[in-house]
Amino acid sequence: MTGLKRNFSRITPWSVAKWAAALCIALVMVFPIWWMFNVVFADPGVPASLNPRLYPTSLSAGIENIRRVLSETGYLRAYYVSVAYTVLTIAGVLLIGSMAAFEFALFRFPGARILFALVMLSLMVPTAATLIPTYLVVAKLGWLNTMQGLVVPGLASAFGLFMLTQFMKSIPQEMLEAARLDGATHFQLYWFIALPLSKTALVTLAILTFMKTWGNFIWPLVISQKPELFTVSQVVSLFNAPLSHTTVDVVMTANLLAAIPPLVFFLIFQRQIVEGIASSGTKG
Amino acid sequence: MGWIGFGSVRVLALTGALASGVTHAQELDYWVYSDFAQGEALKLQQTFIEEFTAKHPGLEITISGRGDDDLLTGQIAGASSGTGPDVFMNSTSLGAILAQAGALKNIYEDWMAMPEDFRAQFNPDLIKMCTPQPSVMYCLPYTGYGSFMYRNLTVLEEAGIDPKQPITDWSDWKAQMGRIQAVGKKAVPDMSQSWLSLANIYSGVAAPDEWGIDFDNKKTRIAPEKLAEATQMLLDIKPYTSGTSEDDQVTKDLFTTNQLAFLVSGPWVDPIFEQAAKERGLKYDRVLVPGAQEGQYGGVKGFEFIAIAPKANAKIAWEFAAYVAEKKQMTRWAAALGRFNSNDAALADPQVSSHSLLAITNEASKHAIFNRPPFFVKPYPSDYWSVLLDGVADIVEGDETPQDGAKRIVDELNELVADE
Amino acid sequence: MKRPVRPGPREGWPTSSRVDEMQKTFWNYLMLAPFMILFGAFFLYPILSGFRYSFYDWDTVREPVFVGLKNYETVLGSRNSRIAAGNLAAYVAITVPLGVSVAFGLALLVDHFAGFWGRFFRSVYFVPVVMPLFLAATIWRWLYAPNFGMFNLLAGWLGAGNIRFLNDPDVMLYSMIAVDVWVSAGFNMVILLAGLKNIPRHYYEAARLDGATKLQEIVYVTLPMIKPVMIFVISYSFISALQVFDLPWLLTGSSFLDYGGRQKALLFPVMDMMGRGFGSLSFGLASAYGFVLTFVIVLITAAIFALQKREART
Repeated sequence: MTGLKRNFSRITPWSVAKWAAALCIALVMVFPIWWMFNVVFADPGVPASLNPRLYPTSLSAGIENIRRVLSETGYLRAYYVSVAYTVLTIAGVLLIGSMAAFEFALFRFPGARILFALVMLSLMVPTAATLIPTYLVVAKLGWLNTMQGLVVPGLASAFGLFMLTQFMKSIPQEMLEAARLDGATHFQLYWFIALPLSKTALVTLAILTFMKTWGNFIWPLVISQKPELFTVSQVVSLFNAPLSHTTVDVVMTANLLAAIPPLVFFLIFQRQIVEGIASSGTKG
Repeated sequence: MGWIGFGSVRVLALTGALASGVTHAQELDYWVYSDFAQGEALKLQQTFIEEFTAKHPGLEITISGRGDDDLLTGQIAGASSGTGPDVFMNSTSLGAILAQAGALKNIYEDWMAMPEDFRAQFNPDLIKMCTPQPSVMYCLPYTGYGSFMYRNLTVLEEAGIDPKQPITDWSDWKAQMGRIQAVGKKAVPDMSQSWLSLANIYSGVAAPDEWGIDFDNKKTRIAPEKLAEATQMLLDIKPYTSGTSEDDQVTKDLFTTNQLAFLVSGPWVDPIFEQAAKERGLKYDRVLVPGAQEGQYGGVKGFEFIAIAPKANAKIAWEFAAYVAEKKQMTRWAAALGRFNSNDAALADPQVSSHSLLAITNEASKHAIFNRPPFFVKPYPSDYWSVLLDGVADIVEGDETPQDGAKRIVDELNELVADE
Repeated sequence: MKRPVRPGPREGWPTSSRVDEMQKTFWNYLMLAPFMILFGAFFLYPILSGFRYSFYDWDTVREPVFVGLKNYETVLGSRNSRIAAGNLAAYVAITVPLGVSVAFGLALLVDHFAGFWGRFFRSVYFVPVVMPLFLAATIWRWLYAPNFGMFNLLAGWLGAGNIRFLNDPDVMLYSMIAVDVWVSAGFNMVILLAGLKNIPRHYYEAARLDGATKLQEIVYVTLPMIKPVMIFVISYSFISALQVFDLPWLLTGSSFLDYGGRQKALLFPVMDMMGRGFGSLSFGLASAYGFVLTFVIVLITAAIFALQKREART
């Protein structure tokens, strides 16, 4: 039973205060997205910014906006690209990161400490600083405008390595020894012991990678030059351009549509996110 | 609908592009501003593309739109790795940066090889701008804008102002603003906040060659006395402003809800007001920006160009660019979208010149100053605009007198330019 | 003279356990390889290349010209760098404590709700984190609008004058911090909440039996128990705060021609770096800037770790 308050029948000033505070804050948090929702679902020509839209006024106008955005700009295709980009990135980061984390967490070998420190140092370099040089490398490989150009450079994630290593450190060595005595190969140790035991961390990392990759803007901007490979964030930025001739309700539709997948994703997985972050945080 | 047609043309290139990402010899990447790749504009562009590719079997052209900043970053990044677009647009005011980045091919030879009547179509001033040195030409002038003033007729009516009487000069304009304020409305947005608004006021008192930078002599062309006059005007109209900037959504909403009388802006906001006129009965018209004296007018004009990259496909890219910028296409473009361009022959065409939005833009550009001249010479120093705007803000807030402030601004700008 | 128990290098042939050792090490490296190769190719090489370019004057077109330390001198000496650094210091000093405190307060609040409502509020408070930043920035710009934005309308009713939230250099930083806290509180809250849930309930009961007040409970039970989580949240906030870019860019409507807002009040180092790179094509300079930033971040992080180690020892 969570929470310190157990007695539901008594209405104390404390419980009134806590409900009031929580609801007010909830209002503050949700108000902007509710406003945008109402801008989308309003009759065209209605001013959007002056009086905050408190309720949607026109279902049909909103649906029309959504239809326009989806059909006119290849938004659906961008959804597909973003999903592919994100899923491939998650799969790669999880696989490659866990293989490396397995080594760093559980084994001693020459150079381990240096390599690990090197990777950790990379967390402190702002991504913008390496943008152009990385772009040049990708271009030289001929990977511009390709899915591999989008995905591969992001696979060696220092953050992922850090998190998984911390978590895997708690796997007992005796388990590995026992398995080895049973004749397990090195890879089997990884696949059948370390991975299953790290499930929570893996799920958490998957979710965090999803959030980060979905919203990633600069990298796809530089790599995806053909519209077939535009991600959702790029398509949305077309609408956000300052001198764009589109009206504000259409612009907001594009933005709202971009918010839906991460929101849905979070709503489905929130328990894992919280639990996963908790365990990795307390061990960190 | 446009997208579906587009998709069917692209379907063959799709898998190829995803797998290899290499541009084949007969494939052109065409980058445009985001609004050229949406709605009506996109349909027309695709028509042009289809017409051109019909004459060149085996050729595929991919159009992609992107926002202003993205357009620039993409072209620069592309130039540095030799993988940028083949044919692309951008604003002439950014031409210098692109030229420096090596993104623009010298098309002088191709230009001179075109027949005389093709070359005569284009606005000669702009051709000069695109040709910074003899035998060096970087682009074809393409589309453009000229700024003018939108007037909310409902607000004017309430204030007892007769819209049929043109505004003669700044004193007249200020008097009208006073009457608008008297009925509780706002007259203008805060025109000291964006460089475009400032330029619109400044142009009402200065000559076209008193704006921009003189790179040869390493100083700004802004004249301190004229700048002082302009900032004095800003001070005078301060009580009548809404406080919001011309490019804010709030300003547009104020206009469409009949709380703002005058909005000096460009043709890109017209669709918004057109929609408001249809849906909510907004009544508005478009006039030239008033100048300080009678017969003088303000206004800013900017142009976009179409250029080709120095890559393998340059030849066919040039032909496509020339096709799109040519009179027949530009006429259709202007007639359909009411947008201004640099093809004088197209503008003179009767079906174009009767379009009201185009008529005003055309008229405005005759009196307007260029947005950020000179083009294709050198990029502006990076702090130029913030020094100018910050200085103007200081004056408008009363920290400095217009005379002192203007002189200080010009001195600082000269220092900046000299440093480069 | 005793014979060594374990076979050592003096022995002639490698023994079975040495072979074993080498085989294991081989596998270690093999498993490590994919990560390290990718890391090397897409991170190390670009960084080193960028580092090399920081000593050149490079605009991506003309041949890079070697200029030695000139770029670094420019970065450290230029007026904009100083302004950016000053803004960053003020921003970090306020936003990290404020953000973490707000997140902590929210976590405490949500912890007092059970079951469905607890999850409800947790999700609702997370929504701003998930929203595209452009949306959030647009709405807040409308709220902050002079004269007609909601906040100024409110100020008008309360008798105060028009506050230029996004245009007055004295106020802009605080306007931005407010949005920043709003956007990221939910994220930190979720982490802290998880930490709170790990605290065994009987600690609180014991404290209450001893007559502790609410405040004392928080100070003597909650805070010590969530210390590792708290440290994680603070460090992560710190490192992100040092790299702030998107929010001030959007709030000031910046473009590469004019960025940072009035009097460059919202100019920050990463923004300055991007502006110099793409705005005036000085990529060598931008690279140098990036490295100076990295160096500062490393220093500060190292300091935090050292402090933490010292705390752990006492």
